[in-house]
Amino acid sequence: MTKIGLEIHCQLTKLESKLFCSCKANYREFEPNHNICPVCMGLPGSLPRLNQKAVESATSIAMALNCTTPEKIAFFRKNYFYPDLPKNFQITQLNVYGDMSVGGEGYVDVEGKKIKIRRIQLEEDPGRLIYEGASERTKITLVDYNRAGTPLVEIVTDPDFENPRQVRVFLNILSDLLENLGVAEPGLEGAMRADGNVSIEGGNKVEIKNIGSFHDLEKALHFELTRQQSLSERDIEIAMETRHWDDRRKITISSRSKEEDQDYRYFLENDIPWVKINQETRNVLKEKMPESIGSKRERYVEKYDIAPQVADILSSDKYYSKLFENAHDESNAKDIANLITTDLLGFIDTKEKQQNSKITSQHLSDLVDAMNSKAITRNSAKVALQEIIKSGKNTKDVLQEMDLGQVSDSSEIDMIISQIFEEEKQAVIDAKERPETVNFLVGKVMQKTKGKADPVKTLELIKSKLDQ
Amino acid sequence: MVDEEEIIRVAKLMKIDLEDHSEHVGRVKKMLEYFDILDQIDLSSEEITSQEKSLAELRKDEFIPHDKKLIESLKNFREHYVRAPKMN
Amino acid sequence: MNLNTSILQYIEDVKSGTFTTEEFVTETLQRIKDVDEKVHAYLSLNDSAINDAKLIDKKIASGEKVGQCYGFPISIKDNICITGTKTTCASKILENFVAPYTATVVNRLQDEDAVITGKTNLDEFAMGLTTEFSAFGATKNPWNLDYVPGGSSGGSAASVAANECLASLGSDTGGSVRNPASFCSVVGLKPTYGLISRYGLISYANSIEQIGPMTKTVKDSAFLLNVIAGQDANDDTTIDNKNSNYLENIENGIEGKKIGIIKEMTTSDGLSSEVSNSTKEAIHDFESLGASCDEVSLPTIPYTVAAYYTITSTEAGSNLARYDNIRYGYEMESEGYEYNSYISKSRTKFGPEVTRRIILGGFVPSAGHAGKYFLKALKVKSKLISEINSSFKKFDYLIAPTAPVQPFKSGEKIDDPVTLMLLDYNTVTANLTGKPAISIPYRVSNGLPIGMQIMANTLEEKSLFQAAYALETKTKLPEVPL
Repeated sequence: MTKIGLEIHCQLTKLESKLFCSCKANYREFEPNHNICPVCMGLPGSLPRLNQKAVESATSIAMALNCTTPEKIAFFRKNYFYPDLPKNFQITQLNVYGDMSVGGEGYVDVEGKKIKIRRIQLEEDPGRLIYEGASERTKITLVDYNRAGTPLVEIVTDPDFENPRQVRVFLNILSDLLENLGVAEPGLEGAMRADGNVSIEGGNKVEIKNIGSFHDLEKALHFELTRQQSLSERDIEIAMETRHWDDRRKITISSRSKEEDQDYRYFLENDIPWVKINQETRNVLKEKMPESIGSKRERYVEKYDIAPQVADILSSDKYYSKLFENAHDESNAKDIANLITTDLLGFIDTKEKQQNSKITSQHLSDLVDAMNSKAITRNSAKVALQEIIKSGKNTKDVLQEMDLGQVSDSSEIDMIISQIFEEEKQAVIDAKERPETVNFLVGKVMQKTKGKADPVKTLELIKSKLDQ
Repeated sequence: MVDEEEIIRVAKLMKIDLEDHSEHVGRVKKMLEYFDILDQIDLSSEEITSQEKSLAELRKDEFIPHDKKLIESLKNFREHYVRAPKMN
Repeated sequence: MNLNTSILQYIEDVKSGTFTTEEFVTETLQRIKDVDEKVHAYLSLNDSAINDAKLIDKKIASGEKVGQCYGFPISIKDNICITGTKTTCASKILENFVAPYTATVVNRLQDEDAVITGKTNLDEFAMGLTTEFSAFGATKNPWNLDYVPGGSSGGSAASVAANECLASLGSDTGGSVRNPASFCSVVGLKPTYGLISRYGLISYANSIEQIGPMTKTVKDSAFLLNVIAGQDANDDTTIDNKNSNYLENIENGIEGKKIGIIKEMTTSDGLSSEVSNSTKEAIHDFESLGASCDEVSLPTIPYTVAAYYTITSTEAGSNLARYDNIRYGYEMESEGYEYNSYISKSRTKFGPEVTRRIILGGFVPSAGHAGKYFLKALKVKSKLISEINSSFKKFDYLIAPTAPVQPFKSGEKIDDPVTLMLLDYNTVTANLTGKPAISIPYRVSNGLPIGMQIMANTLEEKSLFQAAYALETKTKLPEVPL
């Protein structure tokens, strides 16, 4: 039985400030060491000040993952030496004196299987190291502390995953969930990292660290499973150890270093009092939480009669669900939903494109109205969409400027059909013999009219012409 | 009885170079032996407590830029990086 | 101009025009020149002290609003950060560290127009009881230069006792303000934990230490507390003191109050006969002031020194981990070194006592030993808190001599670690429980000072000052011979 567990770190980049000071939480725009202060640099005499919203966000995450949340939370010091740690200890959470991290046991539903969450903890990110120099002599380590103190939520799962594919699905669900909550931006580089642990057939558990992205995680898991399986086939015992992912060679390497067995000497961080989070506070947080993806999806299917696959897409990405919510009314929900998932999705399929697009809910509802009133065809709507995304111009103007009004005048369509019949003599013969191929001719008419011809009328007229 | 080997191992963990300081081992041992007194008191019913604050009393989430020049008053290297010795 | 005056008297004199701030500060700086080579209370001096004084005189002359301190000279222990000044903690590892920010307490003093004379000597990183562990030379006791001034705030205590300033800010982790106060015959207060901001105080044992004022008189201590106490947004462990005015009703007296004489601190073998006699006399004085005195036992006290050192060495080991000479420290080229050996080499700059505490601090909370030492120590702390809270239900104050002995000769106790640790026997209780405690000069016997300690319940500083003031009225002390 393959068992895979995960340890995911997610930066709370939607916060304004770091976990223990007022420097910016999202450090990415700064020059090296220009987003620092005495506190996050751990200067002598400095003291941490806990970020209220970080605690609220982390508690919301815990609730969204169905975790228990404690009455009081505490912070601990994890003591070790490393150049990216300004204080040579990390302030993190532990459940040593009872459950005192932001989230206890919970679960996430992955394709019908419950993946158990062990705990959620709030902690600070260290700085970043850059290794320079090729030879032993020229090697130096450069340190940028801009990231030191960035709020991190660590999510630890039970080893409930059976294969890397399940892991991928879970991570997608988790990313969507975190984004939906408005606390994180999983798409940002380095904002979400995961380490894993793997064991097969009841063998020893191997931890894998130093994995840079979700993409690498899947690779690392596949590699590790293969490695373990090949050892097992040769009856070699799989050592219980920590391995790290070597991104260059795409393999896991044993990190066994007997030189220093780590002892973190965990004890309470006494500069931060225990924080009381009473039931009332938790209720308020729960109410303020945005609607969960699951509940949105249910609502779309039940209330608006939207097809489940369409509802899946709409509900899972905040960008689309927001457009949908603001665009639809009682009558056109299905149409808006379809326009988004069939056409819009094709044009806007990355976070970057989402950010750059100028389309609004008003545009969508205008287009649907225009289609339903037969002013334009579906095809024209698609063309208009592309322009609107780019320019954001008012729908009416776009339709006019691009001359996308539907052509429904029979004589106009007839004229074009005659042209096509001239150009596509073979297709006409085919259509007379096999009526099901008539759509080719319809398509040609649509092409010629740049999609503006009323497709229903066109089909009608072509059919009658064929019969002549 | 406290093991001297253990004291030396711990010193290494704390990045204390004992080569010039081996005289300390004996003194540390003496202090640790004094701490044995802690075994004589009944602590079974004691709980660990701490100062407490409510969520409302915590710092508000605001970005307040600090002096850009802070890095210049600390050790810095080329483009304002901090330079650490090479890692193994 | 008499430098042996109090803050309150000084302020009156400046207000009435008896002398100017500049005159007094100049005289003070002259005094430092005259005696500090012998006393060695100061590690560095403030070059702009006279200019600061001049500016204050200008304000006074022009009728502009002047801060309540009126330019009185105060020294600051060198583990408290002041922008642009060397803040060394009396350690070679920070010998070139120039603080890029200022501690809250110093900001508050400067906002109220106090004049900083300089930074004072201490045991390295505040770990010690005699100031002999300073990397820059020991401070001497102004009462007898062959004797220790106590520690770790020895420089602060000596600077006040020798009239090299009118007050000082020290820090108290296990008695480091009260012990040298007792040894140098000045008033030293350790306030309730959380009353004074620690932002800018270089941490040694952050769960129990506090900055504490050191002054000539009890009223001065209350005055200084008014200036520096109170919640600080930069320190999450500070508590709301409701803007208390500590001078208010300070002369109320202690008629009808109940005083507990801590049995374990007044009858132990470690007490010298001089100290024991003085304690008896103090009890008589309290009774003559109208209070009733009774013995009280806190059975956990014999375990407090072990618990204290276990907890503080653990925290010190962690708080001092940041000193790896990579971001700040002193000059040492990293080329050619590997990370671990670089750090270890740079940390050889720690002195012997700090080195030992760091090793201890790695040992007692470590995975194999935490249960026997560190966790037990934390429970001793909890048990002590329950005990002392019970006694404060019956008593208004708890008293004991501050130090079990009078000052001793330099070098006398430095070799035996356990004897040295036990000097803290009477003072660590206040730190472990977070309760306020004050040491006031009580006797000078054979030329050496003896201080009495009074403890009150959490946030009861006002009441504490009343008791201290009352006892002070009963003391008649000689002037320092220096």
